Amino acid sequence: MDWLEDELRRALAREDPPDGFAERVLARRERGTSSARRWLAAAAMVVVAAGAAGAWRQHQGNQAKQEVMLALRLASAPMDRIQSEIRGITQ
Amino acid sequence: MKSLLLFACLTALPMLAAPQQFQLNLDSVAAKASEHVDVSLNAATLQFAAKFLDANDPDDAKVKKLIEGIEGIYVRHYKFKSAGAWTQVDLEPIRAQLRGPEWSKIVGTTSSENGADTEVWLHLAGNKSIGVAILAAEPNSVTVVNIAGTIDLESLAKLGGHFGVPKVKPADKAHEEK
Repeated sequence: MDWLEDELRRALAREDPPDGFAERVLARRERGTSSARRWLAAAAMVVVAAGAAGAWRQHQGNQAKQEVMLALRLASAPMDRIQSEIRGITQ
Repeated sequence: MKSLLLFACLTALPMLAAPQQFQLNLDSVAAKASEHVDVSLNAATLQFAAKFLDANDPDDAKVKKLIEGIEGIYVRHYKFKSAGAWTQVDLEPIRAQLRGPEWSKIVGTTSSENGADTEVWLHLAGNKSIGVAILAAEPNSVTVVNIAGTIDLESLAKLGGHFGVPKVKPADKAHEEK
Protein backbone atom coordinates (compact mmCIF):
# COMPACT_ATOMS: atom_id res chain seq x y z
CA MET A 1 0.00 0.00 0.00
CA ASP A 2 2.96 2.30 0.38
CA TRP A 3 3.20 2.91 -3.31
CA LEU A 4 -0.46 3.94 -3.44
CA GLU A 5 -0.09 6.30 -0.52
CA ASP A 6 2.98 7.77 -2.14
CA GLU A 7 1.12 8.28 -5.42
CA LEU A 8 -1.84 9.89 -3.69
CA ARG A 9 0.35 12.14 -1.60
CA ARG A 10 2.20 13.24 -4.70
CA ALA A 11 -1.00 13.82 -6.67
CA LEU A 12 -2.76 15.72 -3.90
CA ALA A 13 0.25 17.62 -2.73
CA ARG A 14 -0.32 21.35 -2.32
CA GLU A 15 1.25 23.15 -5.20
CA ASP A 16 1.68 26.88 -5.59
CA PRO A 17 0.37 28.38 -8.81
CA PRO A 18 2.97 29.62 -11.27
CA ASP A 19 4.07 33.22 -11.02
CA GLY A 20 1.51 35.77 -12.28
CA PHE A 21 -1.37 33.24 -12.30
CA ALA A 22 -3.73 35.43 -10.27
CA GLU A 23 -3.01 38.47 -12.46
CA ARG A 24 -3.60 36.46 -15.61
CA VAL A 25 -6.96 35.17 -14.27
CA LEU A 26 -8.06 38.67 -13.28
CA ALA A 27 -6.91 40.09 -16.62
CA ARG A 28 -8.86 37.44 -18.54
CA ARG A 29 -11.95 38.14 -16.44
CA GLU A 30 -11.58 41.85 -17.13
CA ARG A 31 -11.16 41.20 -20.85
CA GLY A 32 -14.30 39.08 -20.85
CA THR A 33 -16.31 41.74 -19.07
CA SER A 34 -15.19 44.56 -21.35
CA SER A 35 -15.84 42.42 -24.43
CA ALA A 36 -19.37 41.70 -23.18
CA ARG A 37 -19.81 45.41 -22.55
CA ARG A 38 -18.65 46.14 -26.07
CA TRP A 39 -21.13 43.63 -27.49
CA LEU A 40 -23.91 45.09 -25.39
CA ALA A 41 -23.04 48.60 -26.55
CA ALA A 42 -22.91 47.46 -30.17
CA ALA A 43 -26.26 45.69 -29.83
CA ALA A 44 -27.78 48.77 -28.23
CA MET A 45 -26.44 50.92 -31.07
CA VAL A 46 -27.93 48.56 -33.65
CA VAL A 47 -31.32 48.70 -31.87
CA VAL A 48 -31.19 52.51 -31.65
CA ALA A 49 -30.08 52.83 -35.30
CA ALA A 50 -32.84 50.48 -36.46
CA GLY A 51 -35.38 52.43 -34.42
CA ALA A 52 -34.15 55.75 -35.80
CA ALA A 53 -34.20 54.40 -39.36
CA GLY A 54 -37.75 53.14 -38.84
CA ALA A 55 -38.87 56.48 -37.42
CA TRP A 56 -37.19 58.34 -40.29
CA ARG A 57 -38.87 56.06 -42.85
CA GLN A 58 -42.24 56.62 -41.17
CA HIS A 59 -41.65 60.38 -41.22
CA GLN A 60 -40.66 60.30 -44.91
CA GLY A 61 -43.67 58.13 -45.70
CA ASN A 62 -46.08 60.46 -43.92
CA GLN A 63 -44.53 63.42 -45.69
CA ALA A 64 -44.92 61.70 -49.08
CA LYS A 65 -48.51 60.83 -48.20
CA GLN A 66 -49.27 64.45 -47.26
CA GLU A 67 -47.77 65.62 -50.56
CA VAL A 68 -49.92 63.15 -52.50
CA MET A 69 -53.00 64.36 -50.60
CA LEU A 70 -52.10 67.99 -51.32
CA ALA A 71 -51.51 67.31 -55.03
CA LEU A 72 -54.79 65.43 -55.39
CA ARG A 73 -56.65 68.08 -53.40
CA LEU A 74 -55.37 70.79 -55.76
CA ALA A 75 -56.13 68.65 -58.82
CA SER A 76 -59.58 67.58 -57.69
CA ALA A 77 -60.91 71.07 -56.97
CA PRO A 78 -61.04 72.20 -60.64
CA MET A 79 -62.35 68.79 -61.71
CA ASP A 80 -65.11 69.02 -59.14
CA ARG A 81 -65.90 72.56 -60.32
CA ILE A 82 -66.12 71.46 -63.96
CA GLN A 83 -68.38 68.57 -63.04
CA SER A 84 -70.64 70.84 -61.00
CA GLU A 85 -70.84 73.44 -63.77
CA ILE A 86 -71.68 70.78 -66.36
CA ARG A 87 -74.28 69.35 -64.00
CA GLY A 88 -75.68 72.87 -63.51
CA ILE A 89 -75.97 73.38 -67.28
CA THR A 90 -77.60 70.03 -67.97
CA GLN A 91 -80.14 70.30 -65.16
CA MET B 1 -18.39 47.11 -64.27
CA LYS B 2 -20.40 46.87 -67.50
CA SER B 3 -23.12 44.85 -65.79
CA LEU B 4 -23.22 47.41 -62.99
CA LEU B 5 -23.68 50.20 -65.55
CA LEU B 6 -26.41 48.20 -67.30
CA PHE B 7 -28.15 47.60 -63.97
CA ALA B 8 -27.99 51.33 -63.17
CA CYS B 9 -29.44 52.17 -66.60
CA LEU B 10 -32.23 49.62 -66.23
CA THR B 11 -33.19 50.85 -62.77
CA ALA B 12 -33.14 54.45 -63.99
CA LEU B 13 -35.40 53.66 -66.97
CA PRO B 14 -38.73 53.63 -65.12
CA MET B 15 -37.88 57.04 -63.69
CA LEU B 16 -37.08 58.39 -67.15
CA ALA B 17 -40.08 56.73 -68.75
CA ALA B 18 -42.72 58.91 -67.12
CA PRO B 19 -41.44 62.41 -66.71
CA GLN B 20 -43.50 65.53 -66.57
CA GLN B 21 -45.38 65.71 -69.89
CA PHE B 22 -45.05 69.45 -70.41
CA GLN B 23 -42.93 72.20 -68.94
CA LEU B 24 -44.61 74.03 -66.09
CA ASN B 25 -42.88 77.25 -67.05
CA LEU B 26 -44.89 79.77 -65.10
CA ASP B 27 -42.17 82.15 -64.01
CA SER B 28 -44.16 85.27 -64.88
CA VAL B 29 -47.15 83.97 -62.87
CA ALA B 30 -44.90 83.01 -59.96
CA ALA B 31 -43.36 86.48 -59.93
CA LYS B 32 -46.79 88.05 -59.31
CA ALA B 33 -48.10 85.49 -56.83
CA SER B 34 -48.36 86.09 -53.12
CA GLU B 35 -48.40 82.36 -52.32
CA HIS B 36 -47.43 79.33 -54.31
CA VAL B 37 -47.40 75.57 -53.93
CA ASP B 38 -45.13 73.31 -56.00
CA VAL B 39 -45.62 69.58 -55.81
CA SER B 40 -43.64 67.16 -57.97
CA LEU B 41 -44.13 63.49 -57.27
CA ASN B 42 -42.58 60.78 -59.41
CA ALA B 43 -43.59 57.13 -59.58
CA ALA B 44 -41.17 56.08 -56.85
CA THR B 45 -42.52 58.68 -54.39
CA LEU B 46 -46.12 57.74 -55.23
CA GLN B 47 -45.39 54.06 -54.63
CA PHE B 48 -43.65 54.90 -51.38
CA ALA B 49 -46.55 57.10 -50.24
CA ALA B 50 -49.03 54.35 -51.15
CA LYS B 51 -47.43 52.12 -48.52
CA PHE B 52 -48.46 54.63 -45.88
CA LEU B 53 -52.07 54.86 -47.01
CA ASP B 54 -54.34 52.86 -44.75
CA ALA B 55 -56.56 50.55 -46.80
CA ASN B 56 -59.04 50.50 -43.90
CA ASP B 57 -59.47 54.27 -43.95
CA PRO B 58 -62.10 55.19 -46.59
CA ASP B 59 -60.31 58.37 -47.76
CA ASP B 60 -56.91 56.68 -47.85
CA ALA B 61 -58.37 53.72 -49.73
CA LYS B 62 -59.84 56.03 -52.40
CA VAL B 63 -56.50 57.78 -52.83
CA LYS B 64 -54.63 54.46 -52.96
CA LYS B 65 -56.89 53.20 -55.74
CA LEU B 66 -56.68 56.51 -57.59
CA ILE B 67 -52.89 56.65 -57.67
CA GLU B 68 -52.44 53.02 -58.74
CA GLY B 69 -52.03 53.92 -62.42
CA ILE B 70 -50.32 57.25 -61.92
CA GLU B 71 -46.65 57.63 -62.78
CA GLY B 72 -46.22 61.24 -61.73
CA ILE B 73 -48.14 64.23 -60.39
CA TYR B 74 -46.86 67.75 -60.96
CA VAL B 75 -48.80 70.68 -59.54
CA ARG B 76 -48.19 74.41 -59.51
CA HIS B 77 -50.69 76.50 -57.58
CA TYR B 78 -50.44 80.28 -57.29
CA LYS B 79 -52.53 82.66 -55.22
CA PHE B 80 -52.73 86.40 -55.77
CA LYS B 81 -53.56 89.17 -53.38
CA SER B 82 -55.77 90.94 -55.88
CA ALA B 83 -57.85 89.90 -58.86
CA GLY B 84 -56.26 90.62 -62.22
CA ALA B 85 -52.71 90.31 -60.97
CA TRP B 86 -52.05 87.82 -63.77
CA THR B 87 -53.08 87.96 -67.42
CA GLN B 88 -53.85 85.32 -70.07
CA VAL B 89 -50.46 86.13 -71.62
CA ASP B 90 -48.81 84.64 -68.52
CA LEU B 91 -50.47 81.30 -69.27
CA GLU B 92 -49.51 81.30 -72.95
CA PRO B 93 -46.35 79.18 -72.46
CA ILE B 94 -48.55 76.40 -71.03
CA ARG B 95 -51.31 76.75 -73.63
CA ALA B 96 -48.75 76.75 -76.46
CA GLN B 97 -47.51 73.34 -75.31
CA LEU B 98 -51.02 71.98 -74.94
CA ARG B 99 -51.79 72.96 -78.54
CA GLY B 100 -49.37 70.21 -79.62
CA PRO B 101 -50.85 67.23 -81.54
CA GLU B 102 -50.46 64.85 -78.62
CA TRP B 103 -52.83 66.91 -76.48
CA SER B 104 -56.60 66.94 -76.83
CA LYS B 105 -58.87 69.27 -74.91
CA ILE B 106 -61.80 67.31 -73.55
CA VAL B 107 -63.57 70.01 -71.60
CA GLY B 108 -63.32 73.70 -70.91
CA THR B 109 -65.63 75.84 -68.86
CA THR B 110 -65.80 79.55 -68.11
CA SER B 111 -67.79 80.67 -65.14
CA SER B 112 -69.76 83.84 -65.79
CA GLU B 113 -70.05 84.22 -62.05
CA ASN B 114 -66.40 84.49 -61.05
CA GLY B 115 -64.61 84.41 -64.41
CA ALA B 116 -62.90 81.11 -63.64
CA ASP B 117 -61.55 79.27 -66.69
CA THR B 118 -61.06 75.55 -66.28
CA GLU B 119 -59.67 73.28 -68.98
CA VAL B 120 -58.90 69.58 -69.02
CA TRP B 121 -56.60 68.11 -71.64
CA LEU B 122 -55.70 64.50 -72.34
CA HIS B 123 -52.24 63.44 -73.40
CA LEU B 124 -52.77 60.83 -76.09
CA ALA B 125 -50.55 58.07 -77.40
CA GLY B 126 -52.56 56.62 -80.27
CA ASN B 127 -56.03 56.12 -78.88
CA LYS B 128 -54.80 55.72 -75.35
CA SER B 129 -54.72 58.44 -72.74
CA ILE B 130 -51.37 58.52 -70.97
CA GLY B 131 -51.77 61.73 -69.04
CA VAL B 132 -53.91 64.67 -68.06
CA ALA B 133 -53.35 68.39 -67.89
CA ILE B 134 -55.63 70.60 -65.84
CA LEU B 135 -55.50 74.36 -66.16
CA ALA B 136 -57.63 76.28 -63.71
CA ALA B 137 -57.38 80.05 -63.87
CA GLU B 138 -59.39 82.16 -61.48
CA PRO B 139 -59.03 85.89 -60.83
CA ASN B 140 -57.25 85.18 -57.54
CA SER B 141 -55.49 81.90 -58.30
CA VAL B 142 -53.94 79.78 -61.03
CA THR B 143 -53.53 76.02 -60.84
CA VAL B 144 -51.73 73.89 -63.41
CA VAL B 145 -51.65 70.13 -62.98
CA ASN B 146 -49.99 67.39 -64.99
CA ILE B 147 -50.83 63.83 -64.08
CA ALA B 148 -48.74 61.28 -65.99
CA GLY B 149 -50.24 57.84 -66.36
CA THR B 150 -53.82 56.72 -66.22
CA ILE B 151 -56.33 58.22 -63.84
CA ASP B 152 -60.06 57.99 -63.36
CA LEU B 153 -61.11 61.63 -63.72
CA GLU B 154 -64.52 61.02 -62.18
CA SER B 155 -62.92 59.57 -59.06
CA LEU B 156 -60.54 62.52 -58.98
CA ALA B 157 -63.49 64.94 -59.15
CA LYS B 158 -65.20 62.98 -56.39
CA LEU B 159 -62.29 63.69 -54.08
CA GLY B 160 -63.69 67.23 -53.90
CA GLY B 161 -65.40 67.36 -50.56
CA HIS B 162 -62.75 65.12 -49.01
CA PHE B 163 -59.56 66.10 -47.17
CA GLY B 164 -61.10 69.46 -46.25
CA VAL B 165 -61.90 70.37 -49.87
CA PRO B 166 -65.27 72.11 -49.93
CA LYS B 167 -67.63 70.43 -52.36
CA VAL B 168 -68.39 72.79 -55.23
CA LYS B 169 -72.08 73.30 -55.84
CA PRO B 170 -73.58 74.26 -59.20
CA ALA B 171 -73.91 78.05 -59.39
CA ASP B 172 -77.73 78.14 -59.41
CA LYS B 173 -77.96 75.73 -56.46
CA ALA B 174 -75.52 77.83 -54.50
CA HIS B 175 -77.77 80.83 -55.12
CA GLU B 176 -80.88 78.91 -54.07
CA GLU B 177 -79.25 77.98 -50.78
CA LYS B 178 -78.43 81.63 -50.07
